[in-house]
Amino acid sequence: MEQQVDALREEALALISAANSAALLEAARVKYLGKSGAVTALSEGMRNVPKEERPKIGKILNDLRAAVTGALEKSQARLLEAADSAAVAGLDLSLPGTFPAPGTLHPLTQLMDRAVQCFRRMGFAIADGPDIETEWHCFDALNTPPDHPARNEQDTFYLHDGRLLRSHTSSVQIRVMETTPPPVRIIAPGSAYRRDEVDATHLAQFTQMEGLYVAEKVTLGDLKGTLEFFFRELFGSGTDIQFRPHFFPFTEPSYEIDIRAEALGGEWMELAGCGMVDPAVFEAICKQRGDRVYDPDKVSGFAFGFGLERLAMNLSRIPDIRMLVENDLRFLNQF
Amino acid sequence: MNISLNWLRDYIDCQLSVPELEALLRRAGLEVAGVKKRGVSIEKVVVAQVLESVQHPNADRLSVCKVDDGSGQPRQIVCGAKNYKIGDKVPLALPGAVMPGDFKIKTGKLRGVESEGMMCSAKELQLAEDAEGLLILDASSVPGTELKNLFPVETVLELEITPNRSDWLSHVGVAREIGVFTGKVAQVPRPALPKSIDAAGHASIEDAGCSYYTLRKISGVNVAPSPQWLVDRLISIGLRPINNIVDITNYVLFELGQPLHAFDAGKITGGIRARGAIDSERFQALDGQEYHLPAGTLVIADDNGPVALAGVMGGEGSGVTESTNDILLESAIFDPSRVRRASRALGVFSDSSYRFERGVDPDGVATASARAVELILQLAGGTAASELLVAGSVPARHAVTLRHDRARALLGTELSDADIDAALQRTGLEKGLDGQWVIPGYRRELTREADLIEEVARVVGIEDIQSRAEGIFAQGSSADAAYDFTMALRRKLAGAGFHEARTGTLISANAADLIGPSVSLKNPFGDDQSRLRNSLIPGLLAAVVRNFDQGAKSIPLFEAGRIFNSEGEFQRLALVATGERQSPDWRGTDVRPWDAFDLSGLVVRIAGATIQPLTNPPTPFGAAAVAALNGKRIGIVGQLLPSVARSLGIDGALLAAEFDLDAWLAVDAREKTVSPLPKFPASSRDIAFIAQLALPYGEVQAAIASLNEPLLESVKLFDLFTDPKGEKIPAEKKSLAVSLTFRSPERTLTTEEVNAATDRIKAVLREKTGVDLRE
Repeated sequence: MEQQVDALREEALALISAANSAALLEAARVKYLGKSGAVTALSEGMRNVPKEERPKIGKILNDLRAAVTGALEKSQARLLEAADSAAVAGLDLSLPGTFPAPGTLHPLTQLMDRAVQCFRRMGFAIADGPDIETEWHCFDALNTPPDHPARNEQDTFYLHDGRLLRSHTSSVQIRVMETTPPPVRIIAPGSAYRRDEVDATHLAQFTQMEGLYVAEKVTLGDLKGTLEFFFRELFGSGTDIQFRPHFFPFTEPSYEIDIRAEALGGEWMELAGCGMVDPAVFEAICKQRGDRVYDPDKVSGFAFGFGLERLAMNLSRIPDIRMLVENDLRFLNQF
Repeated sequence: MNISLNWLRDYIDCQLSVPELEALLRRAGLEVAGVKKRGVSIEKVVVAQVLESVQHPNADRLSVCKVDDGSGQPRQIVCGAKNYKIGDKVPLALPGAVMPGDFKIKTGKLRGVESEGMMCSAKELQLAEDAEGLLILDASSVPGTELKNLFPVETVLELEITPNRSDWLSHVGVAREIGVFTGKVAQVPRPALPKSIDAAGHASIEDAGCSYYTLRKISGVNVAPSPQWLVDRLISIGLRPINNIVDITNYVLFELGQPLHAFDAGKITGGIRARGAIDSERFQALDGQEYHLPAGTLVIADDNGPVALAGVMGGEGSGVTESTNDILLESAIFDPSRVRRASRALGVFSDSSYRFERGVDPDGVATASARAVELILQLAGGTAASELLVAGSVPARHAVTLRHDRARALLGTELSDADIDAALQRTGLEKGLDGQWVIPGYRRELTREADLIEEVARVVGIEDIQSRAEGIFAQGSSADAAYDFTMALRRKLAGAGFHEARTGTLISANAADLIGPSVSLKNPFGDDQSRLRNSLIPGLLAAVVRNFDQGAKSIPLFEAGRIFNSEGEFQRLALVATGERQSPDWRGTDVRPWDAFDLSGLVVRIAGATIQPLTNPPTPFGAAAVAALNGKRIGIVGQLLPSVARSLGIDGALLAAEFDLDAWLAVDAREKTVSPLPKFPASSRDIAFIAQLALPYGEVQAAIASLNEPLLESVKLFDLFTDPKGEKIPAEKKSLAVSLTFRSPERTLTTEEVNAATDRIKAVLREKTGVDLRE
């Protein structure tokens, strides 16, 4: 009996270890452990074993079954492992990926959003005004009466009803103060228009970011601190910033801001206009509102504005401003 | 405005280098747009006179010249130019001269003949960009004179002057500003002023547009070309010399900023009057043009009519010519807005109108006249009348009050009262009583406290103002909500594979008419930008065409922006797509073009909108559906008319959608609420049926929905088959298959329940849509 068992074990283990497919392994299992398998047949022979030998024979048979089962499991694991590695071995990851391309946000949108997020961190809310403006909102209320040398109708688009396409987003300052009592702390991203030939550096329509802060005791130091913080947030702490005295009818004192940053190509560029809100603007607002909440003796404020196109051009080294409105996918795909 | 550095140094001791000066001017608010240099700075280039010229023995193109270089010893020069003749005076670079490009002149042989120097062209001396042949010098030039003395180096600054600072429109004005920032005092010409007498009988003011008018008569002048120094000065700042009298008036204009005009006294009939023009009065101007003056245009007239457009341009008939003997020199103040209006109405712009528009110094009117007379007597001879004829009066200087506390508060500084006063004094303001400051005539634009505070900030410098980082808390606005909403949509669309475009507000009439009525511009810049866009679709279509022409295979674009119509401005979001939705790849994936369902599906996914087909789609849509959210229409989606695609040269389907963002935002659920996750399993049943080809799927959905089957969770179409050849199913039919999903939130459904519900659905489909169920 024991010899018989040894022979059977040897045969079964050899067959199982030689099985190189799941089918052969299953056939081996059936051959030994199946209902009419060899091991099963031996176990059934237990009935004829004398009672006193049963524990011994029983153990021998149990060991046999355990050995066969163990070998089967081991081979099964071996086969699975081989199949698994075969399944990934053929994966040629040098083949080009095929996921469909995602879309892109326009570079001006991306830049505008960076600027908006930065101003929001400083507590500015967004304000809005119409592109089609009245002369009053665009010029008169901004201390630029009809005969003012700074008021240039030739460069402004007019509608037949006398309204115009705003030549700057500063009109939003007026829109905001007309309807909102101080304090106001707003930015207004939007379009402005200039009646001019389009070329590599000029568009008839451009994107501006306007800002206004009016409250009690706002100083030139606030203006300086705010814009210095902003430009360094946007273009790096190493950004050089210069405020150069300038003239705008609606601010006094007025400055132009030149900045120099590695991100912008490392050259000085004229970037923004800013200044302390001119008292004449506050007076125009008071008159329009019919109250004195914007009395220039009670409140003060600063305003600023800058164009986004030239910034985007410097940031991304865009050689021609028209690329920003041509919407060529070969261009857009790079952002 | 061109400022010559040599000229400037007549008035201010300024040893700053050009970059230092530029920095100083920028700090003062004067932007230097450019720096031009003229003149010769090379040593050892002298005037030489050509004495003889013979053919070079060994070279056809060269000549051998003998020249007089002033040394008394004739010098032999080999020369290739042909434009000179014997006796001409030309520049000669002597051995040792270093020409531009570090080219050193040496004595040497040219084709075997010795040459002791080089005769030069204007280009070689960098006096001209491009010049052929030798520079032929003035016949009066003396041989041996160094060219650097003949063409002294002249640096000209191109300044950009802001409209508030008319005082910077002259050399003296700029010198004065340099003085403010260097502490040096500008030396302003102070000619002796003649006595003023009432001009009655000679000149009168009949229009408030002229507040002060002066005339001075100079008799017996000799009108001739100006001397070289005057010519050089005018040329250096870009003016063309005319004759000594006109040149002097121009010189004084650029020296002091006061425009002057010289009349030929012999051509003036009767008294001079400053008056408004009669409607359509004719005026023949110095520029040779005849103008019909609008009524009220301010003119200077004699008994025969206008002799000058006041402050803008003189008349042709009364101008100074070579035959002029006596002149009347006008120096006056004209109202800025009147000059501006006249100048704009007639399209005539001059150095004079530019200054009057911005305002001239009332205190400088008599000085400028006296300064010009001084120069005229010096350069053109003659005798000046001992009196200045005067009409009107010089406006008095005004005073402005400054509160020191206010200045400190606005600037955010702790400057002392004395610091503030010192700053104002440096700019030429005089301290009066009670915080009053008397404003000099050349700074009459300083009328308010704010103007003085600006001066303090300018003189002190913003560098010394402490930056402050403080502020209030800002409440979010409706514009913030709209911004965030739009930005989130932009991001979703980019995530869905769409590229954001930015197209212009101004479009052509043709493009706008594709959509419908539009607002037009009164003064467009070209026909292709004459309308305000009434939809974002035309601009996006132009972008599609551009990309299509560039060979783009798949063109999915979107834009968020404003549109305009007679009712106002509205925020829109639009999408267009054409070309390949799915591109082939190495797997062998099939190409599939964009179709209307890609776009409607996107709308459903992104907006959560329902799609309701329109029976009469608006142009340019050929087929379209309304996108609705919470029962409100928020947009339209569909396929554009094939004729539109064809007219744009686009092959294949052109899909578009446009949303009204204001309407969308108004119904969009700001806060999302979640449904509980199902606890019990779902059961599905697939049903298939044959329907009439024309039966809209929407009717199938509607029929099922009409049951209000409580257990039905969803219906999903998973197969749609048509057979135009009629082989498998009749050509006028279609086969549909939908998967029905049932679920109860309370229990696991039994087979019987699910089957019963499925049967009810089948029954309603048969009854309401007449379909044949395939069992």
